[in-house]
Amino acid sequence: MFFNGNTFWFLNGIIFVVIVFGLKTFAEDKGWGMNWWKWLLSGIWYLIFSTGFYAWGTLTGENFPLAGFYTFLLFFVISIILGVGLWRLLALQPQSEAKEL
Amino acid sequence: MSEEKNAKLSRRDFLKVAGLAGVAVQAGGLFAGGVAAGSDKESYTGWESFNPATMFFNREPFRIESPAHSPKGEVRQPSHITDYVFGRVAMFQKALMEKQDWVLGDPVDDLPLPPPVLAFYNQYPERLEWDYKTFTETIPNHDIDYKEYGNYFLLAEVYRSGFAYHGGNLPKAHTPPEHSDFHMMVAAGPGAPMQEVPLRDPIPFKSPDLAAELIKELAHRYGATMVAITKPNIDFFYGDGWGGCDTDYDHSKLPEHWTHAIMIGVPMEWDQIVAGPQFTASYDAYDRVSTAAVRIEGMLKGMGYAARANTPMTHYDCLMPPHAIEAGLGEVGRTGYCITPEAGGNSRMAMIVTNLEMTTDKPIDIGVANFCSKCKICAEQCPSGAISMADSPEEQEWGTGSVLRGYEHWYINNGACYNYWRESMGNLGCRHCVSVCPYTRKDNWLHDMARELDPRDPTGVVSSGLLWMQKNFFDYPDAIEYRRPAEGGHFAVYGPEPYFMDAEKFLDIPLNNPSEGVK
Repeated sequence: MFFNGNTFWFLNGIIFVVIVFGLKTFAEDKGWGMNWWKWLLSGIWYLIFSTGFYAWGTLTGENFPLAGFYTFLLFFVISIILGVGLWRLLALQPQSEAKEL
Repeated sequence: MSEEKNAKLSRRDFLKVAGLAGVAVQAGGLFAGGVAAGSDKESYTGWESFNPATMFFNREPFRIESPAHSPKGEVRQPSHITDYVFGRVAMFQKALMEKQDWVLGDPVDDLPLPPPVLAFYNQYPERLEWDYKTFTETIPNHDIDYKEYGNYFLLAEVYRSGFAYHGGNLPKAHTPPEHSDFHMMVAAGPGAPMQEVPLRDPIPFKSPDLAAELIKELAHRYGATMVAITKPNIDFFYGDGWGGCDTDYDHSKLPEHWTHAIMIGVPMEWDQIVAGPQFTASYDAYDRVSTAAVRIEGMLKGMGYAARANTPMTHYDCLMPPHAIEAGLGEVGRTGYCITPEAGGNSRMAMIVTNLEMTTDKPIDIGVANFCSKCKICAEQCPSGAISMADSPEEQEWGTGSVLRGYEHWYINNGACYNYWRESMGNLGCRHCVSVCPYTRKDNWLHDMARELDPRDPTGVVSSGLLWMQKNFFDYPDAIEYRRPAEGGHFAVYGPEPYFMDAEKFLDIPLNNPSEGVK
């Protein structure tokens, strides 16, 4: 089955690269000055966000669609809350750049 | 210059839009990937392959010192005619037929029962009430219900019958261990009559470690999903009725050659077990675990070692859960059976006793006891109320205390349990506590994450969080709904029925769905 196979995960990897470049461009335009911990936190946030969809699908595949949807909602709400905090952190200027200003 | 700037901006915008679109595509893809992971037959632990990969949980970080069981009082061996429900109810039924004017409330001593059974009923009067109800109310009512609704669940019985037929023809021990364990039945060729031959001289192993390694590897290849090694304990052997043994056989001590025990386990079919109680069966796992055990017995005997398989389809000389727990296959749960990391309560066990010296395994602690003390889903969902709702074995509501036959244990009212076995539709039995146990989960990333995180979390936050999700996110019937219509139920099922159990789709027979019209 395609969605279980290596090709699916390979394509997911390609899409992930596109997402990373999109974020990089977006951050540059915003003047966020991304450093290693900002990338790390962004990655963790995206993992949590994505897990909600994957868990929803998994429980649906196990014939528990309602439980899957609730699990997705839980992850989604957590993602929103963490996303607000992450947005503010990303907007912070790294100390080295702040001193230069 | 302006055009160049616009083109540059356009490229940047494209990257941003592509990134956003990537998020949307990936979200959809992950949902679809999740559906594939959730329905993947590779996640059906024990039904996906015959190799050691089926035992995928690394137990080593959770090993504890032996023994997992230590006596807390006077030890009494279990009995085939009292503690073992099939033995007891068969005697009770026979006694009732012989004395048809006996009714509940009459002295139990008036029933033509052996003294141990009379003593048992005097100690546990609620079992007498339940056993009486089973034969005077439940079975006659079931006959009525079966005529009405039996066809709807017929494919569950059909599926079971193949396993029952095969399992029922597995070889059994017909003589005491001192003889049967040292002989094997062989045929000179296909169709030739079976002949009993003594075992050859044992083929020596290089070390007990290597003996254990090889036996475990072969056990998996014979069909065991889980395998571990321990030593047999006489406290957990029946005090009567060993296979091939007369009543005058000494059941109070182990034969000298029963030095080691190979414990194996397999799960019941996953699509079926989630559709409990009406669509489940034990025989699929009974047959598979018995077949694997008989194969292991044959292999050991072929190497010259004495061996005897204790299996659900041939005969049990002893209790499986305490031996499985001692071997580190899992931990005891509120339901009294062994909860394994791979299959939870969905673990059917067999044991092969032998004189082959092997390195034994140690018990494990993955936090089942703590989890069971707060979960209680099995007790809440049990249609017969046979499982304790107490926080700990000490506080059990039946006043039995925490010690059962000398060991601390959860008490299960197997009279009430058996009563619902005879009420439910489909195959004899219930297994609903297996279906609803949060440990009974397939092998996919979601449940594997829970398996690995929970036992490593000393705070209990993970298990509490997962339990909260289990109780609030999953929608399943109340306990009463599993009962017969006349008792307020509609023979409900926990999860969706497997498509291969859909009698309406496959069979040309009249059907009556007891849940039709029920929301």
